Amino acid sequence: MEELFGIPMDVIMAILLAAFLPALTGVAIMAWRNRVMLKLGLRNIPRRKSQTGLIVVGIMISTLIMAAAFGTGDSITFSIRKNATDALGPIDQIIFSARADESDTVGSFNYFSLDRYEQLKVELAEFDLVDGLAPGIGEFAPTVNIRTALSEGQMQVTGVDPNSLDGFGRFHLVNGQEINLETLGPGDALINEDAAEELDAQYGDDLVTYVGGLSITFKVQGVVDSGGLAGVGPTLLVRLDRAQEMFERENQINSIAVSNQGGVIDGAEVSDEVTDALRVLFTDREIARDIQTLLNREDVIGELETLRATLTKELAADLAVVTSGLVESVLTDDFIAMLADEDVQEAVLNAVHEAGIGEVGAEVGTLFAGLAEFRVNAIKKQVLEVADQAGSGVTSIFIVMGLFSIMVGVLLIFLIFVMLAAARRSEMGMARAVGAKQRHLVQMFIFEGTAYSLVSGAVGVGLGLGASSIIVFMANRIFQSGGTGAPESFTMFIHFDPRSAVVAYCLGMVITLATVAISAYRVSRLNIVAAVRGLPAPVEQSQIPYNKRLLAPCEALVRPALLFGFGLLALVRMDISKGFGLLVTSAWAAVILPVRLIITIGQAIWVPMSHGWMTMVAGGLFVWIGVASKEVAPLSVGITLVIIGIGLSLRTISYRIGVQADVADRIAYTFMGLVTLMYWILPSSVLRRIFGDTEGGIEMFFISGVAMVAAAVWTVMYNADLLLVVLTYVAKPFGWFRPVVVTAVAYPMAAKFRTGLTLAMFSLVIFTLIVMSILTEAFSSAVGDSEKVAGGWDIQATVNANTPIYDIRTAIDDRPGLDNRDITAIGGYTAFPVEIRQVGAEEQQWRPYGIRVADDQYLKQTGTTLKLIANGYDSPDDVWKAVQKDSNLVVTDSFIVPSRERFGNDEVQFELEGVYFDDAEMEPIDIEVRDPGTGTVIPLTIIAVTDRISDAFGELGRGIIASRKELDSAIPFQIPTTTYRFKVADGVDVPSLSRDLESEFRENGMETDVLSELVDEIAGANRAFNYLFTSFMGLGLMVGIAALGVVSLRAVVERRQQIGVLRAIGYRRGMVQLSFLTESSFVVIMGVAIGVGLGTVISYNIVKDIQEDLETVRFSIPWLQIGIIVAIAYVFSLVTTYMPSRQASRIYPAEALRYE
Amino acid sequence: MPEPIITATGIHKIYDTGTVKVNALRGVNLTVERGEMVAIMGPSGCGKTTMLNCLSGLDEIESGQVVIDGVVLHDLPDDNRSDYRARNMGFVFQLYNLLPVLSAVENVELPLLVSGVRPAEARTRSMDLLELVGLSDRAQHLPGELSGGQRQRVTIARALVNNPSIVWADEPTGDLDSETASDIMDLMCKLNVENGQSFVLVTHSDDVGKRAHRIVRMRDGTIVDDGNATEA
Repeated sequence: MEELFGIPMDVIMAILLAAFLPALTGVAIMAWRNRVMLKLGLRNIPRRKSQTGLIVVGIMISTLIMAAAFGTGDSITFSIRKNATDALGPIDQIIFSARADESDTVGSFNYFSLDRYEQLKVELAEFDLVDGLAPGIGEFAPTVNIRTALSEGQMQVTGVDPNSLDGFGRFHLVNGQEINLETLGPGDALINEDAAEELDAQYGDDLVTYVGGLSITFKVQGVVDSGGLAGVGPTLLVRLDRAQEMFERENQINSIAVSNQGGVIDGAEVSDEVTDALRVLFTDREIARDIQTLLNREDVIGELETLRATLTKELAADLAVVTSGLVESVLTDDFIAMLADEDVQEAVLNAVHEAGIGEVGAEVGTLFAGLAEFRVNAIKKQVLEVADQAGSGVTSIFIVMGLFSIMVGVLLIFLIFVMLAAARRSEMGMARAVGAKQRHLVQMFIFEGTAYSLVSGAVGVGLGLGASSIIVFMANRIFQSGGTGAPESFTMFIHFDPRSAVVAYCLGMVITLATVAISAYRVSRLNIVAAVRGLPAPVEQSQIPYNKRLLAPCEALVRPALLFGFGLLALVRMDISKGFGLLVTSAWAAVILPVRLIITIGQAIWVPMSHGWMTMVAGGLFVWIGVASKEVAPLSVGITLVIIGIGLSLRTISYRIGVQADVADRIAYTFMGLVTLMYWILPSSVLRRIFGDTEGGIEMFFISGVAMVAAAVWTVMYNADLLLVVLTYVAKPFGWFRPVVVTAVAYPMAAKFRTGLTLAMFSLVIFTLIVMSILTEAFSSAVGDSEKVAGGWDIQATVNANTPIYDIRTAIDDRPGLDNRDITAIGGYTAFPVEIRQVGAEEQQWRPYGIRVADDQYLKQTGTTLKLIANGYDSPDDVWKAVQKDSNLVVTDSFIVPSRERFGNDEVQFELEGVYFDDAEMEPIDIEVRDPGTGTVIPLTIIAVTDRISDAFGELGRGIIASRKELDSAIPFQIPTTTYRFKVADGVDVPSLSRDLESEFRENGMETDVLSELVDEIAGANRAFNYLFTSFMGLGLMVGIAALGVVSLRAVVERRQQIGVLRAIGYRRGMVQLSFLTESSFVVIMGVAIGVGLGTVISYNIVKDIQEDLETVRFSIPWLQIGIIVAIAYVFSLVTTYMPSRQASRIYPAEALRYE
Repeated sequence: MPEPIITATGIHKIYDTGTVKVNALRGVNLTVERGEMVAIMGPSGCGKTTMLNCLSGLDEIESGQVVIDGVVLHDLPDDNRSDYRARNMGFVFQLYNLLPVLSAVENVELPLLVSGVRPAEARTRSMDLLELVGLSDRAQHLPGELSGGQRQRVTIARALVNNPSIVWADEPTGDLDSETASDIMDLMCKLNVENGQSFVLVTHSDDVGKRAHRIVRMRDGTIVDDGNATEA
């Protein structure tokens, strides 16, 4: 993985090391200079081993999550790369013809003369970067193994020239022995491992391949390793001349594989240079000159210059070549190579559009299409890039998903230090009394915290690696179960880049150390007398005057320069030691300047923020930013800050008019909590009505979770006495339980900060799990609705394009094992790639997409749900009839229709303009589709858009649906039906009919799927991945449970004497234990209630939002899953608190009373 | 002749720290009569508090027998002993040992709730007790908001709220100034006289000792003088 969130990993590592190493060095220097505090800090660690264990567990969670995220990302990158390089072997680029004629068919590359290959070989003879060119034929044909009767409908038949293997290596049998293609006779073939497995074939077996109505028998002469020219997926290898004969393509080929200089991986590094060189060779120079003439205008060049500033460095450089090439009198190779680059073409067309010369744009667009004779597919480089993108994408997703857990981990570190400080308050007071300074206490905690962090970071990285291995294992199982859309052969491998380990460790450490430093600073601020005597901490006012605090940031800013100046002055005055001392201090002041600035600014604005007015101002600022940028995140954060500001102002006013502090706090925090909650549970449609359309991403999930949970916790914590009344009432019938409840609730309520933090942690974790569960359920049930997903069809069958069925009904009649009466309807279509653009749209670049040309039966019988119907058409029935009647009318699937909610598919490059999926209506949209092979352009009009869920989000088929009449006449080659869908009569066993169809049409390479099973498989895979994410997010639960354990352990220690009193006044052992368990239960139950409640509300809103895009998504609560999550949370929390509570109950009263 | 409420015979208590064994009580015998107020005195480390803990069942003993009102205390299982304490004993400690998170009245009513008294009745009786100790106006205050003397009064109210037959007090005035200590002793003597409850006090203070019916003097884990009762 090379990038994360668009930032190179090397840069991330450098920044983190730059933050972490100086911090660690600083701690080390402090420790060396102050060994007493180091000893004091470190000696606390072994004092309570179980507590230390829980602290380490809690602290390591951030590192664990990072490491797991990076490990998973690395594994994805590595796996895609490995699968790709294993599959491609030495092949770096593939060349195929950009021009088709009437002999070409759907389903394979266009053919061209072998002579062109010979010519190319000569042209590239001096080009060192290419070390191999292999001409070939690649086709698909159904194949049957006579011995085993097993068949493969889509067997890749590859014709390889035995004399052109330089640079590609020889073929090797699976036992390692080299095999020579020259020895193969006309009836001989090799098969790769995948074919051997699929057909259970071995040396000597006879395989029958069906091509164009003929059957050809081959004897297997060996099983070769898959990959490279031997392909992946079932492949039959024959000599090129035999393949030409089989497919009646004398002296023709349909692809040239190119191997670059270098190995399997480093060959791809020169892919750009090779591709450019090949493009120059393949470009029609006349067309290039026409383009040059058309674009050599000041306005276009000006726009190109403007555009360059906004592009990536690489693309900007390419465009610079084009700009200079346009004004030159001759055509340079560099210019031609750039013109043939599709990204450059897009940028040029955009510049032309900006220049406002539409007619030139259209002409240039068409010229670009005919510019190259051949297309060069830099397949390995592309796949490797995809691998890197996938890896960083997955890491980003896992990190975003893990944000809640990281947040909870940070809260735990804070909580731990607050509690440790409370426990050591007296000794800290003593230390201060005998001369220790506040910074010494900070250092003491930092030493202890650093020791915990160093250990837990290392453990976290180790466990994160383990967690990513589990994720990879689970993902492999999901891939094996099918329904994921990934190739069958795709396998994930565990891989961890050492750089990722460094980044994960440093990131975890930086987060931990920062939290430790902040909490250490907070706890070090104690009143010595109150600490020594164990009295409540008095409310302290800052000793620093406010005006001085306002100036502090400026002072911090100029301090290094001043010290430096004084140092120089001292040196000038020959006061060497003072001068150097000041220079060193100045350097240190410069190093810590960022931290000091943050602290002083924080201190300066703290008072007005806490009084409320500045919080309101800050909120207003955020709202303004949100409205101006149309981003929902700053808008919502701003509104929340305004609400908090009002609450804090209420508190300030209440204090000033003499309202009791606890009453004022209750009013303020209840106000903030309830109003914030009300705001966040508002449906987004309300916000839209007020602020117009705003955009938000996955970060809103995190922000809303934190805001809502904080609001709920405030409300609960400041009104818990009311809760106590209710609980007391509930406990009334259980006399013995009442005193248990009294103490169990009183203690957590008395420690509001501690309980609030623990509650917030638990609530956050449960919140995320509930949201994930409900959304998983909503999507899975939507995807799993096979009737809607499959448009009412029961079976889908694909047929090899080389062995089509010309009349399916007659063919069924001819098969004794099939009965037409079992099938009520058969619809067929052929899917193939086209290029598309919208008439009159801003974007005029031809973009790749797919089209499905369907027969009348398909159009008549399909039950595909339509989301949008163009004005002028009344019903879905009306639309399908219109498409049948007028073959220029088409229906598109949803992937090319943008959504206001940004719910779409990034893989698709084309996007319609002027229509949104969430609109209520649409006008007919004129588009043009172009056959990339022939360049034929067909005008079409979109009159409807299908639901997102149709064809299982495109898993079953993708592309515009058109009547085949228009395409049949427009495209020079035949379009045989390659996909059939069947509706089965009532009472007929669908799986059995599916098997019969596959068996009867084996010679046509038919492969069938029962759609309901396929849909279940897809829904199952969908669900499985969501469970995987949910489990990952569940890591946060570990923190929550560890937090409860730490709290309970501390409680037992802190309340030892009070336990003695309780036992003295008659509490039984069980009551003491129950009291502790009830106390934990109180926090867990409250956390669960808040998490489940808020998670359900926010999920409801999310589902409602998604329904605007995807009507079939239904809000439903997965009670079982929620029950399991709640049970796990509760049981594990009780297990963690059981030991401390048992320990508490075992204490002899007298022993407890003696304890100080 | 008044019947004994506490009869302790041959009590041995050893503290075993793993490396050191300390004989805290070496065959102690003691009898306390119903309604009697006994002060246990002696130098630090002589075993006063240990004896109080062992007699009240707060701590285990190695050998010997403690009989309270006919019940052999250490033969009772732990839970039954807890129940017995809840119904028949009250405790006052030097450091008050109130639960800091409960208000004064909640602290006082806790033993009643443990004994299964209905909440409303428990609250009434607790308020009565707080009135008796002169703190009814501080009933809703948390211990942290009360002075030392007030906290000790709350502790006494808590000790008496169950109307126990025995009140155990470990240095009840140890953390108080002399004037407050005298007030507390006045209160305890008054309750002793009015309610006829037995009081066993551990104290260093001669002033407190003098107010008891009898002073038991201890040294090195044994009773060196148990018969010289002093009239209050």
